[in-house]
Parts: sequence; C-alpha cells; structure tokens
Amino acid sequence: MKKMKRNGIILASLLLASLLTGCIEGGILTIRTTGATFPQYQMQKWIDIYHQIHPNIRIEYEGGGSGHGQEAFLKGLTHIGRTDPPVKEDTWNKFLDTGDQPLQFPIIVGAVVIAFNLQGVNELKISRKVLVDIFMGNIEYWDDEAIKQLNPDINLPHEKIKVVHRSDSSGTTSIFTTYLSLISDDWANEVGAGKTVEWPVDKMGRGLAGKGNPGVVAILKQTEGSICYTELSFAIEENLAVASLENKNGKFVKPTTETIQTAVSQVSAYIPNSTEGYKENIEQLLDAPGDNAYPIVAFTHFLIWQNKNGKHYSPEEAKAVKEFLTWILTEGQKEENLAPGYIALPSEVAQIGLNAIEMIQS
Amino acid sequence: MSGYRIRKGKEIAFFLAIAILTLITILPLFHIIATVFINGLPSVAEKGFTFLTGTLSEGGIGPAIIGTFVLMFLSSLIGLPIALLVGIYAYEYPDSLIGKWTKTLLQIMLEFPTILVGVFVMNIIAIPMGSYSAFAGAFALAIILMPYVAVYTHEAMRQIPFTYREASFGLGLTRIKVIFRLLVPLSKRGVLTGVLIGMAKVAGETAPLLFTAGGLYQSYSIGIFKPVGAIPLLIYTLVQSPSKVDHATAWGASLVLLLIFLLVFIPVRMSLKEVKL
Amino acid sequence: MSVLQKIKRIDGFKIITSPAVMFVFLLFAWMLIVYFYNALPAFVREGLATYFKNVWQATEEASKEHYGLLAAIWGTVYTSIIAILVALPLSIAYSVFVIDYAPKKIKNALIVLSDVMAGLPTIIYGIWGVFVLVPLLQKYVMFPLHKHLSFIPIFSSPPITGYSYFSAGILLGIMVTPFASAIMREAYQMIPFTYREAAIASGMTRYEATKTLLGYIKPAIFSGMILAFGRAVGETVAVSLVIGNTFNLSIGLFSPGYTISSLIANQFGNAFIYEHMLPALYAAGLALFIIGLAVNIAGLYLFRKWEKNVRI
Repeated sequence: MKKMKRNGIILASLLLASLLTGCIEGGILTIRTTGATFPQYQMQKWIDIYHQIHPNIRIEYEGGGSGHGQEAFLKGLTHIGRTDPPVKEDTWNKFLDTGDQPLQFPIIVGAVVIAFNLQGVNELKISRKVLVDIFMGNIEYWDDEAIKQLNPDINLPHEKIKVVHRSDSSGTTSIFTTYLSLISDDWANEVGAGKTVEWPVDKMGRGLAGKGNPGVVAILKQTEGSICYTELSFAIEENLAVASLENKNGKFVKPTTETIQTAVSQVSAYIPNSTEGYKENIEQLLDAPGDNAYPIVAFTHFLIWQNKNGKHYSPEEAKAVKEFLTWILTEGQKEENLAPGYIALPSEVAQIGLNAIEMIQS
Repeated sequence: MSGYRIRKGKEIAFFLAIAILTLITILPLFHIIATVFINGLPSVAEKGFTFLTGTLSEGGIGPAIIGTFVLMFLSSLIGLPIALLVGIYAYEYPDSLIGKWTKTLLQIMLEFPTILVGVFVMNIIAIPMGSYSAFAGAFALAIILMPYVAVYTHEAMRQIPFTYREASFGLGLTRIKVIFRLLVPLSKRGVLTGVLIGMAKVAGETAPLLFTAGGLYQSYSIGIFKPVGAIPLLIYTLVQSPSKVDHATAWGASLVLLLIFLLVFIPVRMSLKEVKL
Repeated sequence: MSVLQKIKRIDGFKIITSPAVMFVFLLFAWMLIVYFYNALPAFVREGLATYFKNVWQATEEASKEHYGLLAAIWGTVYTSIIAILVALPLSIAYSVFVIDYAPKKIKNALIVLSDVMAGLPTIIYGIWGVFVLVPLLQKYVMFPLHKHLSFIPIFSSPPITGYSYFSAGILLGIMVTPFASAIMREAYQMIPFTYREAAIASGMTRYEATKTLLGYIKPAIFSGMILAFGRAVGETVAVSLVIGNTFNLSIGLFSPGYTISSLIANQFGNAFIYEHMLPALYAAGLALFIIGLAVNIAGLYLFRKWEKNVRI
C-alpha cells in the first residue's frame, strides 16, 4: 500500500513536470484543422499518409461543420478552417477585422447526393420537382404517384418518407438548399438557402436531424424509409443507396467520378482569387449544363491566415501548415491518395491554393 | 377472518410490487455494464495494448486516456485548496448568514447544469486566451469538483468531537492553529473522500469540456495551455459517427472509462456509510 | 475600541478562508452576469418572443434572423416531467425495499449499486441509450402504443426513429431514480423510531405501516422529486444523443424535439458567425440557469423545512 502511494506521488510529479515543460513527447508539432465534415474521409486518408511520411507533425482533425470551422478560424481556435460554401462577405470582414488577411481556396471536389434507406430498393430516379416536393413535405408517402411514375419497375412501400437533415450549421445544407432554391421558386420563397434553414418537414413531425454528415448518415441507417442529403463519400463508405437526379438537360445521372468531373470542368472558371474568397458564388457552381453533368457538385475549402506579423502562427507552425497544404494540393491530388467519392481538383484550381500558400509569412 | 386474509393478500401484493420495481430500478445498471463489456471487450482485445496507447489513427485512445488523467489531476489541483477553505468556513460559521448561504450555494453547485459551466468557461478563458486548453477544461471541471470537496470537508469536520476543539482553545491556541493544525488533519480522510468522489465524477463529465478542452487524439503533445482530449468527449464524437469502426472504438473507450470510474469509486464508496452525489 | 483591537479581532482564520468563500460566490455571480449580459441583445431584439415563440431562422442576412426558444424550453420541461414520472414509483419502491424489506447484506449491496448508478458517467448512459435503449423502446413500447392507442393525443405521433421526448424522458428517469431514492432514503430513515414501533404495535401489517410512514414523509418525497427534476433539466450529453434535435413543438411523446442543453451543445459551436444567434443561445442558457436555480432552491428549502419539523 505504501509503495503504491509512493509510486502515485512519483507519477503525479512526473505528470506535473511534463505539464509545466509543456510536452511529453519532444519535438512534435500539432496542427489543428476544424470544420466541414464533407471532406472527412479524404482528410483522414491524407492525414494517415502524411503522418507516415512526417512523423514529427500531427494533424488533429476536428469536425463540427462549416459554421464551426469559420467560427473556430475567426477565434483563432484552429490553424486551418474548413468550410464547404465560400465565406460570406460579412464574415470575411470579421476575419479582416483581426488585422490579418484570410485566404480561402478549394482543396477537393465532392458531390452532394441523395441517399435513402428503403428495404430492397437500390436504384431510384428523382426528378427536380419530386426532389423539392419530398424535402418540402408535399409528398408524404414513398408510393406517391409522382415517385411511382418515375420508377415504374420499383416496388415502393406505402410508408411515410422521413427526411433527415443536419442539426448544426452546415456547408452541405447550404449547398443543397442553394440548389433547391435554384431549381424551385417555391423553395426559394418559402424556405430559402443557408447553412441552417427551417425545414418544413420538421413541423410535420417527419423531419429528423443529425450532427454533421456522420450524424445524418447514422440516423438514415437506423431509420427505415428515410431519405437524406449527404456527401458522396459517406454514401460510398457506408454503402448507402443513392438516387439518380435529373440535371439541367433533363437527364437522370448518378454521382460518379465521370459525371462530377464533367460538371466541374464547366464551372471551375468561377473560382476567385484566394484573397477575395467572399466573391465566390456557389450558385454559379451548381446545376452545370451538359447531358452527363451531375447537378450538385461542390468544392470544399480551406481557410488559412496570411499570418501578417506572425499574428496567428508561430514560425514553426507556419512552416508546417505550408508544407502540409502544399502536399495536399500536389501529392494529395494524385489518384492513389484520394479517398472514394472525392475527385481531384483541376490543375488550374489547385494553382489558386498553391499561390495562397506562397503568401503565408513565417 | 376474511378481512385478515385480504390484509395479508395486500401485504404480499405490496411486497411483490416493491420487489419488482426495485429490480426494474437496478436492472439498467447491470444491462449497461454488461453491454459495455460485451461491446467494448472485443474492440479492446482486437487492438490489444495499442488500444490503450495508440493514437486515434492507429486505432487507439491513448491521448484521450492521458487527457482524462491530466484533467482529473489539474482540476483537483485548482479545486482542492479553494474547496477546502470553503468547507472549513462553512464548518466554522454554521449559523452566520454567509455560512448559511455558503452551504446553500454548495448544494446548488452540486446540482448545477454542467453545460452552463462549459459555456461560461469558454467565455472567460478559452476565447480570451485564443485557444482551447487543458487549463480551460480543468477549470470548468474544478467548478464541478469543488462542491464535493467542500461538502465532504464540512461533514468530516462536523464529526470531530467538540471536546477536541474546546480543549485546544483551552490551551490558548489561536483559531487558525486549532483548525489547521488539529481539526483539518483529523478530517483528512473526509477531504480525501471528497476529492476522490469529485474526481470520479469529473472523469466522466462531457458537457463542461465541449467548448473548453478542444480535443487531442492524434498525439501526446500535452501542455497546460494546449488543447487536450478526454475519453467522454471522444465517445460523444464517435457515437455520432455512422461508421461501425468508430462505434467499436466508442464502446472500447466506454469500457475504459467505466473501469476508471469503478476503480476510483468503488473503494471509496466501500469505505463509507453514505455518499452524496 | 482601538484600531489595533479591531485588527486583532479579524484573525488569521478569516483572512485565509474569506477570499476562498468570496471567490466561489463571485464566480457564481459572474456566471449569472455573463449569461444575462450576453443574452440582453436577444431580449432587446425579439422581446419576450425569445422565450415564447418557436422559430429558428439562422441566415447570413442578419435582418432575416429570428430565434425563439419555445421548442427547447418545452422539450426540457416535457422530458423532465416524464423523467420524474418514471422516477417517482421506482425510487419510492426502492427506498422502501432497501430500508424495510431487504436483508442486511442485500441492503448494503443495493445502496452501493444505486450510488454507482447515480455517479456513473452520463456519456455511458448516452451510448447505452443510443444503441440499446432507444431501439428497444421503439420496437417494444412505442410501436405497440402508437398502433393501438394512437387516438390518444400523446401517442398520436409515429415513432419514426425512436429518438424522441419519450426516449429522452425514460433515459433521464433511469438516471435520476437513484438520486431521488437517496433523498427519500435519507428522509425515510429520519422518521423517529417510536413512530415505526407504534405503527407495528397497533397491529398494522407491514404494508399498512409503510403506507402510514410514507404519508409522513410526503413532503420529503415531493422535494426529492423537485430536486430530481432539477437534475433532469440540466443533463446534456445523454439527452442530446436521444432527443432527435429538431425544433418541434409537440405533445406527441414519440416526436423528436430539442432541450435547452442539447440546443446549446449542438448550436453553440457555430453561433459566432451569425449576427444574432449567440445572444439567443445565452438567453437559452439564462433560462436553464434560472430554472435550475429556482428548482433547486425550492427543493432544498422544502426538504430543510421538513427536516426541521422532524427533528423537533
């Protein structure tokens, strides 16, 4: 007993000593990235590979959604913010008020997909009108005439449609609701677009909310007869059934590497310079023309500081951030380093980020 | 005679009802412990020692375990001295206005919604300092730990026979000497109990850490003013993930947390007649 | 009295302990001020609608933002009421069984077990709630009730996912029962022994004696329930995992909803980027603060009043 006590004291003082000196493992630098869960699987893959080649740098991944990413970035609680929709001008000005220059650039392409959980159903065609009506709550049952007409061969159950959406402030929500507003005036007028919206289905008791893409998918998987919007990679990773959506040209397309690339090639010219991130307009990036273009593609972005006068990063941190991001935009975009469901940036878009990284002061 | 039989029948029915309800009350505990073991053991066993020492990308929760210990330790360090003095004060002035208020305040703090403490500490520490930190997390936990220590200190000192006190005052010792040299050492067991119960409690707290600790699961770079992880916080994140792997890790982490809690709590509890939670 | 004497009267003891006591009081007051001060803009902007309206419009156009916390307040009250309805019979039965019926060995074991339950990390209740309790309740309780009794308003909403007021209430009930029973045990044991003797001597059966004695501690049971309510109100993580997190205002037990604490846990992390959300969340915190304070003070006051009566 006495020995135990002594050991306890030794352990405690060791702990205290190491706390005071600030480190248990010497020489390891932690870089924190916070926000959007849209690129979660891609981030995890990058981090795993990067940890192997740079044992002295640890990347701490934190979720929380795009809203949280922007907030944590603003408050200096993270090194690299992640946000799906580009930052709005108001928020951009708040960033500028800190006296440092924020830089925003895309890091990877993904797609918002419509996933559903219906026993025995793996394929589903959803037209623009039906999509809006489901999320508006106008269509109540799976075997509604409008859905049946599009999918005559599928045996749809007479079951209520449960709509799963995000509970937190989400870039995925923002992209999806922007798309809905784009294709439907009713949606634009009654609900609108944003990182959080008031879902009409909630008031009907058919709405459910999960935190982050992970939370939404978790609920979808547990709930028979539910439908949700989420990032493609989550659908692939979790084996979810994904709907074909009607695109601008009236064709039904599934989200695949090919259909997403087709869409991206049409819109990548609209990405602004990294110092003027707020000028990016997601409406221009959605609903790309082309028979084989998937309608809801999205760039997810990083937010970093130019670090004027060393305001946000120490010299070591600045160096590590630079290295990590350069790696992501070059090596990280190679086929073997991509996670399923993500598409590499076109090289001219990757260059926007590389230019931004050059601006970081250390 | 039949009246007696009815009364006897009621008696038996009553006993049965009480016994069944008692069983229902306690059943969840066994079920919880059983499910935590059934789901947690395989995921711990699969990774073996790595589960306890590895980082999250290696499939372990090592940094979270260390984080939890650091937070337990730091929060006691912050909370203990203050709580001790508050407990002594409440003992020494039981009938003064401030003494009475102090006791009421301690009771209220025991019950206070912990999420409010987290938001408050974020507001006064994390944001001004520009970083989540072990210090912010520990400070929030210290606010939760303090009333336990204070209440137990107070109780323990009340148990000391009044004659001790009279005798030492009779010897002409000052109040400060009587209390700190004599009464506090006599009640050190009670103080220790309070600290341990408080530690067991804060080891499992999640809400106060949500906006203060930040989380750290990929490395052991631990420092007072750096973000830190904690097992409950990690479980909370992993439970909300869709991936089976994350759920398995969450169950394994729950097992570790449960064992830490039981290892601290059960011995303390066994040494006491009654606890206040 | 000379100055010197005055200084002497303030002895070392007070000099050492007073700052600590002051620190704790100030901390508490500071907390109240932080919530009140930060919530103020919400009251200025929305008035009483902050608490009496169910609306949650977060947009980046500040003029269109509106926040009303009614759904969360309702969810908090509703789930906590369910919790104490569960806890009331369980904790009474538990206390009576432990004190009057259980043999000594079992008695001690039961008391330790309920203390373990009361102290168990809430996140463990949470993970158990999500993966075990909710699916069970949904399948064996909610579906049957909804199927056969959906004409009763509280059973009318379909148990779509299982995440609901009901699940949260039951889980909270399980969590607060040991706590409530600890208070009742304390009260039950405080009954003077002569009462017990008198009851048995007068030829009552044990059931009748227990009934009489329970009547005697009714005020303590009541205050125990109030304190248990207070605990349920403040619980965060376990609830936020099973409540469904939807802005819903429904009497339907099986509908998903929000509670104040789960609202804060979910939304606080992203509130800063909106112009007006943060004050609304502080207003939510303030409401929780005041409910928690009022409930606890009431519970403690009633219990102490009763305690005094017994002692005399």
